[in-house]
Amino acid sequence: MGAASAVLLVAAACSVELATPPPGCAGGSGLIAAQSVPTAEQIPCFEDLPEGWSFATVNVNQNGTVVRLDSDRAGTTAATLRFEENCDLGAAVAVPSNVDEVERFDFIERLEPSFRAQTYYVFDGGCVTLEFDFDRGASATESVALDDIVAFVSRQDLNESIRESFIDEEL
Amino acid sequence: MSETLVADRSRHGRLRRPSGEPPPLPRQFNKVAIAWLAAFVGWAIVWAWVFLSDDPAIWITERDLELMGPIVDNRAGWLTPSMKAINEIGTHWATPIVGWLALVGALLSKHVRHAVLLIVSLAIIAGVVTIVTTQIDRPRPLGVTQIGDWEGFAQPSRPVALLTGALVAAGLTLVPSVPWRRYWYRATTVLIAVFGFAQLYTGVDHPTDVFAGATVGVAVPLVLYRVLAPEMVFPITYGGGSTAHLDVTGPRGDAIRRAMADQLGVQVADVTPVGLEGSAGSTPLRIVDVAGEVLFAKLYASSHLRSDRSYKLGRTLLYGRLEDEQRYSSVRRLIQHEDYMLYVLRAAGIDCQEPCGIVEITPDREYLLVTEFLEGAVEISEAEVTEEIIDEGLELVRKLWRAGLAHRDIKPANVMVQGDRLRIIDVAFAQVRPSPWRQAVDLANMMLVLALRSSPELVYERALRLFTADDIAEAFAASRGVTLPSQLRSDVRHDGRQLLERFRELSPERAPVAIQRWSLRRIGLTVWVGLIVAFLIAIFVDNLSDIGLL
Repeated sequence: MGAASAVLLVAAACSVELATPPPGCAGGSGLIAAQSVPTAEQIPCFEDLPEGWSFATVNVNQNGTVVRLDSDRAGTTAATLRFEENCDLGAAVAVPSNVDEVERFDFIERLEPSFRAQTYYVFDGGCVTLEFDFDRGASATESVALDDIVAFVSRQDLNESIRESFIDEEL
Repeated sequence: MSETLVADRSRHGRLRRPSGEPPPLPRQFNKVAIAWLAAFVGWAIVWAWVFLSDDPAIWITERDLELMGPIVDNRAGWLTPSMKAINEIGTHWATPIVGWLALVGALLSKHVRHAVLLIVSLAIIAGVVTIVTTQIDRPRPLGVTQIGDWEGFAQPSRPVALLTGALVAAGLTLVPSVPWRRYWYRATTVLIAVFGFAQLYTGVDHPTDVFAGATVGVAVPLVLYRVLAPEMVFPITYGGGSTAHLDVTGPRGDAIRRAMADQLGVQVADVTPVGLEGSAGSTPLRIVDVAGEVLFAKLYASSHLRSDRSYKLGRTLLYGRLEDEQRYSSVRRLIQHEDYMLYVLRAAGIDCQEPCGIVEITPDREYLLVTEFLEGAVEISEAEVTEEIIDEGLELVRKLWRAGLAHRDIKPANVMVQGDRLRIIDVAFAQVRPSPWRQAVDLANMMLVLALRSSPELVYERALRLFTADDIAEAFAASRGVTLPSQLRSDVRHDGRQLLERFRELSPERAPVAIQRWSLRRIGLTVWVGLIVAFLIAIFVDNLSDIGLL
């Protein structure tokens, strides 16, 4: 009984790792991420992660979506993506954005002794904050690779996809 | 009742159970548990179907939205705050509260097995929900404004599954089956129905999410408890009774009657528990046959076997292999050992109960050891202890030594006085060719038992007639709290005469005999058990949130 319980407990416990997959641009939790911020016109999604990065936790709920990432060089929870209705830009400055409907703002809090910075993506009805908090000694260039894999899909495109392939309803 | 009498009766009973015929108490899997398991399998088929094809997912989602449409389209201002509150409580608070209360309650009431099963149930529910949700990827109801709290994918509903699981497991862990558990299940049904409705009202779950969650929440603990802690063997009892004692009414009582008639030819008129306070390792019974003759029986089940294993593991970890701490592999082996020891002790001239036979109730899981009933016998703590009784007790130990035996559980509850005879019972722990230390402890324990109702000086004086002063000194050098059965330890403590110390004063001085035995096996076992416990605690703590307890 003891051994059986232990096996069951371990098996069950191991299976509850990463209960929700990240919002990927080709699947994952994109639909519920969109439902987590019903006002947002754009929904963030992840392309394939660069070498050395991995998803640590994904939380999608009625308050928004939070994705934490680990890096083998920048450390545990080196980056956090928050998708919410609003965000406080603080002293961030506008920089050119790759997506037409999305404005981008950057703020570098410090480079030494460890890199800490925030990138904000602002759009109608929502905002994405990508926060970097690297371990001491990790290079700030690690953040550049991550910048490139955050993409956006419009709510309109998601709704059309649902209508075409699923049912005649909207997010 | 003599062996001859029982043997005579056996001729009128059936010699053997025909092949294929069920035993007196067949191992039965509860029908309700089978029904819930079937429902769970039904959902598993639906999930697999939805995973493989979009068509059933579309059909189910359309029906779901049709069903919940009237609810979300007619939200009432007066009802919405209540529904949101129920959604919030059910999602965030109810499961940790119910789960922790049940867990603490189980540990306080010493239902450790049930406490472990509660955690395992919640872990399995969480695991099943996670596996299914991440494969089905079902969003929250489309075209519906969610006004409640939610987390992750919808199918099956995680909060409904975990809360249902916590409530069902709490009922199976804490609530006695008759009559209260029925009411607990009714209350659980009402609570889950209200919570499920709130989930639909707030638009966070589809109807099928709620139903699937509830099915998982009921099926997992129900099946797990039925298999690993069946009510017949691990009943939930309160009021000071030992958890080792089994209910001998209902199906088990009928099975005992049938088995006694078939296997021993004894037509049972009445079966009643007897002397429960002195027995923790079995259920002692007084059996009266239709002719009015009385037999004694000890009912052993797999729960007793497991208790024996845990006890021996604990002693091995705490003290090393002082005694014969090998585990029994089955209930059959356990009862065969006791039956054999009765014969061995009687052959050595020791006045213990006369064995009448072993009766099979459930093969390999439940047996009765039937012996004579010591009519009119009283526990020595309730009898007058004369010099003759003292001599008989000491002579009994002398015979044990002479025959190379140890009783290993000499305490007031096992030393009976029947008229002017002293008789020893409960030989389950008895051992052939024990260590000298173990034999010495038998002497010390018998002297303490006798001194409780007389005086240490008298017992010591009488003991010198059979044992040398060195024998007695060794016995008390080998004795300390842990070597005394718990009843004897308690009686000695309450006696207040410092009996152990007094015997040591009376006997020649001798250095204490070390009771700790270290071996590579003990070290390895200790490390292994420590690692397993630490690992399980770490996993439990790490997953408190996932299994709904945080």
